[in-house]
Amino acid sequence: MLKKSTPSVARMSLIVALALILSAVLAACGGGKDKGASSSPSASPSASASASESAQPSASASASASASSGAIDPSKLPEYQLKVVWEGPPQKDEKAVEAKINEYLKGKINATVDLAPIDWGQWDNKMNLMIASREAMDVVFTAQWNGHANNVSKGAYLPLNDPNLEAGGEKVGNLLEQYGQDILKTLDPAFLEGAKINGLNYGVPTNKELAAQGGVIYRKDIADELGLTDALDKVQTVADLEPILLTVKEKKPNMIPLFFRDGENFNSHYFVQHDYLGDTNIDGIVKKDGDDPKVISRFDDPVYMDNLRLARKFFQEGLINKDAATTQLGTQDAMKKGNVFMIMSSLKPGKDAEMANAITMPDKLKQINMGPRTVSTGETAGAMLAISATSKDPARAMMFIDLLHSDKYLVNLLNFGIEGEHYVKVSDNVIKAGPKAADYSPGVAWELGNQFLNYTFETEAPDKWDQFKAFNEGAHKSPALGFTFDVTPVKSQAAVITNIRSQYAAALETGSVDPSKADEWKSKEKANGLDTIIAEKQKQLDAFLATKK
Amino acid sequence: MTTIASKRKLAGVHEVSAGANAAFNIFFWIYTALCVVPLILILIVSFTDENTVLVNGYSFFPHKLSLAAFDFLLHDWYNVAFSYGVSIFVTLFGTIVCLALMTLYAYPISRRDFRHRGLFSFIMFFTLLYNAGLVPFYIMYTQYLHLQNTILALMLPYFVQGFFVLILRTFFSNSVPTALLESAKIDGAGEWRIFAQIVLPLSMPVLATVALFCTLNYWNDWFQSLLFINDNKMVSIQFRMYKAMLDLQFLSTNSQAYSAILAANPNFQLPSETVRMAMAVVGIGPIVFVYPYFQRYFIKGLTVGAVKG
Amino acid sequence: MQQAVGTTRPGAAAVPAKTKQNQGYWKRFGVFYLMMAPALIVLLINNYLPMLGSIIAFKNVNYSVGVLKSPWVGLQNFEYLFNTTDAWKITRNTLAYNAVFIVLNLIVGVAFALMFNAMRSRKLAKFHQTAMFLPYFLSWVVITYLVYGFLNPEIGLLNKTILPAFGVQHPIDWYTEPFYWMFILPIVNTWKGIGYYAVIYLAAIIGIDQEYYEAATIDGASRWRQVWSITLPLIRPVIIVLTLLQIGRIFYADFGLFFQVTRDAGALYDTTLVIDTYVYKGFLVTGDIGMSSAAGMYQAVVGFILVLVSNLIIRRVSKDDALF
Repeated sequence: MLKKSTPSVARMSLIVALALILSAVLAACGGGKDKGASSSPSASPSASASASESAQPSASASASASASSGAIDPSKLPEYQLKVVWEGPPQKDEKAVEAKINEYLKGKINATVDLAPIDWGQWDNKMNLMIASREAMDVVFTAQWNGHANNVSKGAYLPLNDPNLEAGGEKVGNLLEQYGQDILKTLDPAFLEGAKINGLNYGVPTNKELAAQGGVIYRKDIADELGLTDALDKVQTVADLEPILLTVKEKKPNMIPLFFRDGENFNSHYFVQHDYLGDTNIDGIVKKDGDDPKVISRFDDPVYMDNLRLARKFFQEGLINKDAATTQLGTQDAMKKGNVFMIMSSLKPGKDAEMANAITMPDKLKQINMGPRTVSTGETAGAMLAISATSKDPARAMMFIDLLHSDKYLVNLLNFGIEGEHYVKVSDNVIKAGPKAADYSPGVAWELGNQFLNYTFETEAPDKWDQFKAFNEGAHKSPALGFTFDVTPVKSQAAVITNIRSQYAAALETGSVDPSKADEWKSKEKANGLDTIIAEKQKQLDAFLATKK
Repeated sequence: MTTIASKRKLAGVHEVSAGANAAFNIFFWIYTALCVVPLILILIVSFTDENTVLVNGYSFFPHKLSLAAFDFLLHDWYNVAFSYGVSIFVTLFGTIVCLALMTLYAYPISRRDFRHRGLFSFIMFFTLLYNAGLVPFYIMYTQYLHLQNTILALMLPYFVQGFFVLILRTFFSNSVPTALLESAKIDGAGEWRIFAQIVLPLSMPVLATVALFCTLNYWNDWFQSLLFINDNKMVSIQFRMYKAMLDLQFLSTNSQAYSAILAANPNFQLPSETVRMAMAVVGIGPIVFVYPYFQRYFIKGLTVGAVKG
Repeated sequence: MQQAVGTTRPGAAAVPAKTKQNQGYWKRFGVFYLMMAPALIVLLINNYLPMLGSIIAFKNVNYSVGVLKSPWVGLQNFEYLFNTTDAWKITRNTLAYNAVFIVLNLIVGVAFALMFNAMRSRKLAKFHQTAMFLPYFLSWVVITYLVYGFLNPEIGLLNKTILPAFGVQHPIDWYTEPFYWMFILPIVNTWKGIGYYAVIYLAAIIGIDQEYYEAATIDGASRWRQVWSITLPLIRPVIIVLTLLQIGRIFYADFGLFFQVTRDAGALYDTTLVIDTYVYKGFLVTGDIGMSSAAGMYQAVVGFILVLVSNLIIRRVSKDDALF
């Protein structure tokens, strides 16, 4: 029974076994990197293939918008699935719309899409996790007010106009110039200029209104019912709202008169005209409606402090939802719930109708524009589509974005769904809700491409886009327009300030706690490097302004 | 091992006075109420009419009852049912694998004649002392193992817990007589057979306890869903409840119920408070039902482990 | 540990004794390694390989070049932990709460166990034990709902019903006042966990030989005296083990308790922010993995040191009870 084999063999076999286990694990580690989430049969990006395509005349047969430049021969491109991620509630009929898009897209750029919207409450968390996990995605929504600069410094997005760009070991070149000609032709240069970080663009801004105006949106039907319409038409300031809201509270005790949450209250940046020069979590602002490029702390703005007091007053009178400080509900979704009378909102022409249609409450909302019209980097870079650094085919991603800026059929399909089901055409460019409208209405047209291509709802003004143009004209430009703050020199302090903000901002700005807490907040910020941050912001801003002269 | 019951008969020696006994009883009746009453409150509120709740607050004696909250949930039962399925699967499968892995590890290190017993014990127990933290763990799972959005990601983190291995090992070394092992070996049994046919059957109590602990870990987990599940479908039921607390939208997005109801009644308002409580009832329900049966084994197993270990 | 030479088979004389023993060893015990392999792989994945990832704490990670190629920044990621007024606060909160929890678990747990033991009616005691254990089975999410039912500022049971009954007219805004949570959190934590400790202590108490008590009663010792001089000393080993285990985790807070139950309300951070939630926010909210790794490492290292130190102290005091 004794084995004739030497003892070392037995030992060897054990070592081999352990080595096998170890290598299996290591293979999982190393090899795993190549396993992508979306299917990408071709290993290397099709850059070399498509680079030569873009010069050829258009071969695509389907109707595209007027501005489509010489384009892409889809038969020369390998198949690719694009993962498209944006911020908004997932829709029931997503798969159906996806299928329809894929039918069309294959013929254009031989690609399919995997639509992956993430709802408001989870966006920040999920985005951070997905970036940290290097999740394979292609087209990603980003905004200057939503950590864009931060993500850029982490290397999460690809530079779109870098002639030396390399991806997957191959030279890809300036994506915008090669595949984004339509973008360059239709987008007001102010958008791209305003979104640059260190001279490079990391996202394609949505083509939409340029200016912003703060205000509120309320339930017109309820107002009419309670006879408040006249009073509302006369509202100019926040104080004017008080008696109206009190009436609503009295007559409709189950309704929330004014819905607040963190970031959507009287001190929202669009209402109090604070240009945060980037991340809205980091104190250090420039007033958008002024001309002074001086960076100050938010507490040094008397309007901010007044708003805190007003918010507190309203809260104590029961006019604001009690869970304002902790709720993760978005304002649009809150309105959709049906028991909210009024929300804060950044406004543009027809925002009320647009929102009403998005939440399938056509004709029930009306807006009140309050305050000046301004343009700041937060607006020009307030909604962009970036290409993730984990994209396996950045060229294709850029092509898709380009289509969103030029292809009317695609844009409307993505935003409004399938004709006949989700919407019904009233005339060439006007639509109304279809029988299954509730199953697909993402309501985030401002995130996706070229809004000027969107159909308008019949409840909206038919000349909506002209109104936009008028809206943009004459808007006051923020002294810091075009500038985005690079947080790297003060990264630690910024992180601390952000953490501190999360302790106070929601409670204070929604009126849930007494405004005297603001003193505490301010002294905490000062003790943790606020002055350093403000000095750095000023320094960078001055340098930027000097180059513009 | 004598049972608690038999020991009890000898307890006459240090019984307390009637007065003290009464005091203890009263105290515990109150405490028991404190344990049970909050759950009853949730139950009652979930059956209360939403408007009554908004006006009168949470109450044990609502003015008006209503099934609206459950009705709403029922319309949208698919998401909740799916999460239930996920939780059940993860719990069952996870617990079985847990037991298998941990007992297989605990057995060798419980054997005094195993040369590297000390080394492998250390490898196991060091993990109780030092932990690399959330970030490296997350990066490991997502960038290297690509486990995001997989069910494995919900189970793998809990497969091996040093604390339970400790309990198992202690039990194996103390309660399985070496004489038994010796005689088995002499009879020519291999280690697998010894493990499966001698050690395991003798260890039923501690296995039950560890299994129950594992089950509890899995069933109550919400954090792994937060970290690893991106699509909102494959999340555990606890996570769904967690999200519903903060953002009722989580229940109503993509909800057939919501659109249908809205279509029928444009003035519909989501009964947030009561639906939340209904959600809680749905989440707690199974535990409360199952609890009376299992707690017996739980307590028994705990005491065995405690006294010996 | 090696089997005696007597187990070698006949005819083995040609092979040297030691290798024969080794050979016999692998033949006998090789299967053990196989048994342990799956769990070892899991440990590797869950615990040991991530330890390599600790380098993230010392780097400024740029995703496009990957973790390995990202630049080293020394201790810069730790700065924000210590240069801030919050660093002290989160450390204080974590330690203070855990210390309170440990003390409460001990005192209340032993007290309950003693009372259970002393009750006359066996059935009633069992019944109360069952009820007491129920909260242990509930998840923190569920408990958040329960707490919410009480603390909801507008319609919760406390503000709407109970406080007015005591004559307190002005409702307390529970989720924005940090002060009360210093009491709420220990109460909730004890309510949830006490079943576990009480049962373990009870089992230990029951395991005590009755003869001690009989002898003591004969000597005329009062019940109190008996508890003090017999029961408590004899369950001391159990107390020490449980307490030591908790001390080892003193730098780790129960995430579910501090994050869920407080609904992550920012206004409460003064008394509810602990290292675990701080790390979580750094990672998921800010997205800066360097800094949140630094915080995690701070926690792991200090936690480790604390376990070693407390074990050392216990060793001095009563060697047998030490963990290792």
